[in-house]
Amino acid sequence: MGNDGARDIVKINKGPVTRTKTGNYKLVLPKDHCEVLTHLITELRDSLLNTTDDASLRRLFPTAYHNDAIKDAEYQRLMRDELLASRLASIETALEVIGASNELSESEIDAFARSINSLRLVIGTTLDIAESDHGDLSIESRQLNSPETESDKEKIIQNDLYDYLGWLLEWTVSAQSEGL
Amino acid sequence: MAVASVQPSQVLEPDVDDVTKSDKPWIVIVWNDPINLMSYVTFVFQKLFGYSLEKATELMLDVHHKGRAVVSNGSRERAEFDVYRLHEHGLWATMEHETL
Repeated sequence: MGNDGARDIVKINKGPVTRTKTGNYKLVLPKDHCEVLTHLITELRDSLLNTTDDASLRRLFPTAYHNDAIKDAEYQRLMRDELLASRLASIETALEVIGASNELSESEIDAFARSINSLRLVIGTTLDIAESDHGDLSIESRQLNSPETESDKEKIIQNDLYDYLGWLLEWTVSAQSEGL
Repeated sequence: MAVASVQPSQVLEPDVDDVTKSDKPWIVIVWNDPINLMSYVTFVFQKLFGYSLEKATELMLDVHHKGRAVVSNGSRERAEFDVYRLHEHGLWATMEHETL
């Protein structure tokens, strides 16, 4: 599982997601962060609307019966569309609440968290994140300090986005945990 | 008075393996993955199953260190429902018959 060593740092400072006294949530992000998130989540929505079979999306549609292919095929036949609809609904909610000035309900912050996590799963799959990568991504990014190819540059960007989404999800989970 | 004795010519014995298997509960397993945050996994266990922070953390650490943890059990329908909810939250969950 991904390391969350940044959690201690998260606790010290007031972050982008806070739980209000009324049990709702405030999501406050700089405008450029909102733009990046909106762009990424829109891309994810478009990918899902196009196909669910892309290799980068495989973590969003896992196997249910790991030792029974027949039962799993039946499960996927019955549930895959429902899971897709659920993901798309969360994404639509996330797109609505990013940059909104009003407080978020429990279901809205939950949809936001699940969409951020879906993005992390897709980017992490693309980056082929392994258990040994915990906490090393930023360092690895910096080691590519002389990117020679477009691929290197793209990897640096993806690594930074992956770290950023982890940071944002930490804050979100921290705020949601206060409501349990 | 004589009691008529009626004996079936053939008795269909149930397949013991089938009966035993269908009687076994299903278990829902969450598998380790390198992407999901530990705090997120703990939170999802608390939220979906109502586990205490201590129990959810224990299960999360089992996933992290042992590679998997059984997070719920019950009927096939119940297990499929739990697997679906875990998939909705991006966790890698599967189900199987409990092995006794």
